[in-house]
Amino acid sequence: MKPKILTVDDSKTIRLIVSKAFKSFDCEVHEASNGVEGLAVASREQPDIIILDLTMPIMDGAEMLSKLKSNPDLKAIPVIMLTAEAGRENVLRIAKMGVRDYLIKPFKEELVVERVGRIIDLKPKSESTVRTRRFDDAINVLVVDDKPAIQDQIRVGLSDTPWTTHGRSQTGEAVDYCSQQLPDIILVSLSLPDGGGFSLFQMLRASNKTKAVPVFGLSVKTALEEQARAQQAGFSSIITKPIDFEDLKVKIARALHLDMSYKYFEQKDGVLVLRLPANFTPNVSNEVGNNLRSKVSEAVDSGLGKMVLDLSQVRTADISVIKLGLSALQLCQELSLKHCVIGSDAVSTECKNYEESKDWDFVGSFEEALAVLRGGSAVTA
Amino acid sequence: MIEDIEQLISSAVTEVFSTMLNLKVRLDASCNAMVNGEGHVAGSVGFIGRVSGVVFLYSTNSFARRMTSSLLGLTDLEIEGDEMVNDAMGELSNMVVGHIKSRLSDRGMPCVLTIPSIVRGNHFTIEPVSSTERRIFFFNCDGRQLVVEVLLKGT
Repeated sequence: MKPKILTVDDSKTIRLIVSKAFKSFDCEVHEASNGVEGLAVASREQPDIIILDLTMPIMDGAEMLSKLKSNPDLKAIPVIMLTAEAGRENVLRIAKMGVRDYLIKPFKEELVVERVGRIIDLKPKSESTVRTRRFDDAINVLVVDDKPAIQDQIRVGLSDTPWTTHGRSQTGEAVDYCSQQLPDIILVSLSLPDGGGFSLFQMLRASNKTKAVPVFGLSVKTALEEQARAQQAGFSSIITKPIDFEDLKVKIARALHLDMSYKYFEQKDGVLVLRLPANFTPNVSNEVGNNLRSKVSEAVDSGLGKMVLDLSQVRTADISVIKLGLSALQLCQELSLKHCVIGSDAVSTECKNYEESKDWDFVGSFEEALAVLRGGSAVTA
Repeated sequence: MIEDIEQLISSAVTEVFSTMLNLKVRLDASCNAMVNGEGHVAGSVGFIGRVSGVVFLYSTNSFARRMTSSLLGLTDLEIEGDEMVNDAMGELSNMVVGHIKSRLSDRGMPCVLTIPSIVRGNHFTIEPVSSTERRIFFFNCDGRQLVVEVLLKGT
C-alpha cells in the first residue's frame, strides 16, 4: 500500500510545494488548510506522516497536535512541524510538543523529502511504473563529464532515440540539476577531478530523490582500477570509452526495464509477426527470447491463430538465428498456431544447411505469407 | 530601534529567495521606486512585540508571477489567476518576516506575526504615521526589482 502523507498548511503555496516534492515518489499526498480540516483528514485517511504548519487560522498546529496526541487512533502518527520561526525559544517549544522533527521555512523540497524519508519508507514512482515504459518513450539522460566532447558524443550517439541528454561538467552542477529535475538515468565520468564521480555517486545514493536512479560509470577501457572501484561502490553499470552506443542503449533499456519487444513483435492483419532485425546481436536474441512466450501467449489470448517469422531483414542465418526461429516455431506448434517463414533465397539456403531448419519452407513476402496462412497450409517446423 | 535592520532584511530576503526561488538577490541602492506604470503586488506581514511593525514586499505583477512560477515549479500558463500569485507573495513575505522574527526573538525581543495580506494596484503609496520609522530597501534580483519597505514602532 502506498504511504500517505498529510500536509496541513493554510498556505496553498506550501501545500503545492510539499505535494510537488513527493511527485516522483510512490505515495499519496493529502491536504488540509487548518487544524480542524487536518484532524478530519487524519481520521479519514490515517496518514503515515503529517507535515504540520504551526501558524494557521481556525486551529493552529500546536492545538491540532495536542488533539492528535489525545486521540488513541491518531496519536501514533508521526508529525513533522513546519514553521517560519527559527528562534531558539520557538524551536524548544516545538521540540517539547512531541513532534518527530521540525522544518524551518524557507526550506528546499529535498529537505522535506529527506526528513520524511527518515520516518517512512519512500519508494520512487519509477520502481512501480517503469515496467510499462517503452524504448521509444522520452527518457531523460543526465551526462556528467568534464569533457564537452564526450557530452556531445553521447548526445549524438543517442540522437536516433527520443531520449534527451543533458550535459553537466561538474558534480555541483549535476546536484543542482537533480534538485530541479529527476533524470531517468545518470552517466558519470569516473575520471572527474578529485574523485568527483565517486563522491557524486555517494551523494546521489544518499538522497531519497535519486537513490533509485541507475548510475552508470563512464571509463576509459584500460582504466581497470577505477572500473573495479566503481563496481565495488555499486554503480549500476560501467560504460567503457570509446562508447558502443548500441550496447549503451541496451544497458539503459535494461536498467530502466524498458519494453523493447515492440521492435520485434507486431500484430498485423490478424497475424503475429516476429521480425528479426538486420543487426541480430546477442542482446537482440536475449530480448526476443525473453519475450517470446509471453508475446505469443498474448496473441493467442487475443484471438490470433497465425504467426509469421520474418527473417527478410536478417543478413545471415547463423546458429543463433536458427535457434531462436526454432524456439518460435516450436512454440507455435505447442499452441497450435499456423505459421510461416519469410526470408530471402540466401537466408533460405543458409537455413537448409542446418539440421534444425532444413525443412523450413520460405516465402518471399508478407503478402505471400498471408496467402499461405489463409489457405490453411501451415509450414512444418 | 533596530540598529542593523538593513542587515536583517538583507539576510532574510537573500536566504528566502535563494532557498525557495534559486534566485540571487542583492541590495541595490541605485534603484528607485518602481514607476514603470505596470501594476504591483505587495505582500505584507506584521509583527507585534517590544518592537512592532509591518514589512511589505512588493514587485511588479510580472515579476510576482515569475516568482510564483519559480516557487511552484509551474509554467506561466499553469498559474491560475491572481489567487496563486497572492498566496505565493504572502508566503514569501511570511518567510522573510519569520526569519526577522527569529533573529529578534534570539535578542530577547519576542513578537508574534500577523497573517499575510496582499495589496494590488497601479498607483499606491505606503504612508506611515508620524511616530513610525520607515525604511525602504531596493533589491536587484537578476535585473528585476523587489522593494522591501519596513515600518517600525517601539513600545
